[in-house]
Amino acid sequence: MMQPVLEVTDVSKRFGGVTAVDGVSFKVYEGEILGIIGPNGSGKSTLFNCVLGQLNPTQGSIKVDGHDVTGARPCDLNRLGVSRTFQLLQVFPELSVRDNLILAGQEHEGTMLDRLLGPRDAGLTASANQMIEFFRLSHVADEKAGGLSYGQQKLLDAAMAFMAGPRLVLLDEPAGGVNLTMLGHLRDRLKAINTEQNATFVVIEHNMEFVMALCNRIIVLAEGKIIAEGTPDEIRSNPEVIEAYLGH
Amino acid sequence: MAAFIQLFVSGLATGAIYALVAVGFMLLWQTSQTINFAQGEFVMIPAFFVLWAIRFLGIDFWPAVGIGVIVSLIILGFLFKRMIVDPMIKHGVLPMVISTIALSIFLKEMVKDFYSSQAQPFPGLIPSSDLNFFGAVISTQNIFILIIASLTVVALNFLLNGTRLGRAMQATAQNPTVARILGIPVERMILYTFLINAALVALASFLISPIYLAKFTNGDVLGLAAFIAAIVGGFNQVRGAIVGGLVLGVTENLAAAYISAQYRGAIPLILLIVVILWRPHGLMGRAEERTV
Repeated sequence: MMQPVLEVTDVSKRFGGVTAVDGVSFKVYEGEILGIIGPNGSGKSTLFNCVLGQLNPTQGSIKVDGHDVTGARPCDLNRLGVSRTFQLLQVFPELSVRDNLILAGQEHEGTMLDRLLGPRDAGLTASANQMIEFFRLSHVADEKAGGLSYGQQKLLDAAMAFMAGPRLVLLDEPAGGVNLTMLGHLRDRLKAINTEQNATFVVIEHNMEFVMALCNRIIVLAEGKIIAEGTPDEIRSNPEVIEAYLGH
Repeated sequence: MAAFIQLFVSGLATGAIYALVAVGFMLLWQTSQTINFAQGEFVMIPAFFVLWAIRFLGIDFWPAVGIGVIVSLIILGFLFKRMIVDPMIKHGVLPMVISTIALSIFLKEMVKDFYSSQAQPFPGLIPSSDLNFFGAVISTQNIFILIIASLTVVALNFLLNGTRLGRAMQATAQNPTVARILGIPVERMILYTFLINAALVALASFLISPIYLAKFTNGDVLGLAAFIAAIVGGFNQVRGAIVGGLVLGVTENLAAAYISAQYRGAIPLILLIVVILWRPHGLMGRAEERTV
């Protein structure tokens, strides 16, 4: 059996007396798109934040490519090839689309002198342009990111997550607030990058249709626990899931 | 006409100094939400570091200027961040602002008590003479100030927009959360802006003190001017601070000559009110949305 890219083992997170995530375990393999769904308050975001190093799990372990990263800082995870997109938009509004991508792709190591004297684009203009083309953002490449439409910013956010050639990308509600046309486009691009680069994703999403169309495998959380796991079709027909989530 | 050119050029020179101070003021605000109400005293005090080095260490002017720059970087850059901003910013902007007001009083009183309450002559960085330009007499000091300020602005602009370091600093100012996730050493970038501000105020101090003499109260006027220049220009733009500084310097000078010298001090405030009524986000600034 090959080694999983992400391995979450028995992770729990308690806030005082509230258990937001309760003994969750799952694995994600290379080239997979795993969806995590669940009603509001089911612990999706807490789980995500534990994996991303923004919260420290109360118990359990998280491994990326076999390295234990439990409690590692977000920037260390970034260095290990784990990147993310944001539920609420997080771009650099005053920089151009291209500059946003270049920043996201850079190794931020090095001395002050390297930063001062090294090439301004860190040799990344070509790959930024490729990414711009891939996500169909060419017509706005030189515009300030803050001036883009919401959907375009979501695309940019996704493109930024792929700039550093990540091992694993965590997408936090990529479809939230995006209109239908743009949504189809986003799904299409994510699918394409998955097929072409064998990229591995974990997606948290409310939009069921989007998740069902994008993911190979889905896990369903309710009250902090995994209540179901399977292919989109299996999830659709699981009575427990319908009860906990789809039925509402 | 000759008188107008003279007034205009000397206004530009004063304005260029206001601009340097305003740019530093704004960089601190952008990267760390620090509103430094001691900025005026930060301009007043480097000249005294130099005078102190000359008097007590018995060294020549230029080495003393070197010491003045180093001491400014340490005290007004590094220690200011570590000892005042870092502990206070956690409690919000208001406690931070009040601390900088306290710092301004402390610096002013310290200079008065430990050095002198009298205005002190400060040597010019270049020998002073006058140039005749189509009948207008323009001092070389003013030309020198304009050249140095322009070069500084060009260098700063290159640093911020033409290097990876500058881009990392901009990223830190625009979105520290993501910058941190990307692995940009956010804390260090913020420290760099404090050091840049310290260098800018030291430069401004060495440029303005030969003209207005070094006095413990100099910060009152300069701090207010920099604050107004930043607001008039647009608080979120470096070029706004430059334009704001120049507009303020020129307006102040022309109004003092042609309208009333007595009301010279009121001119910046009137300019501020007019600009805020007409363009609330400043001459060059953009309206900023903020989630509350």
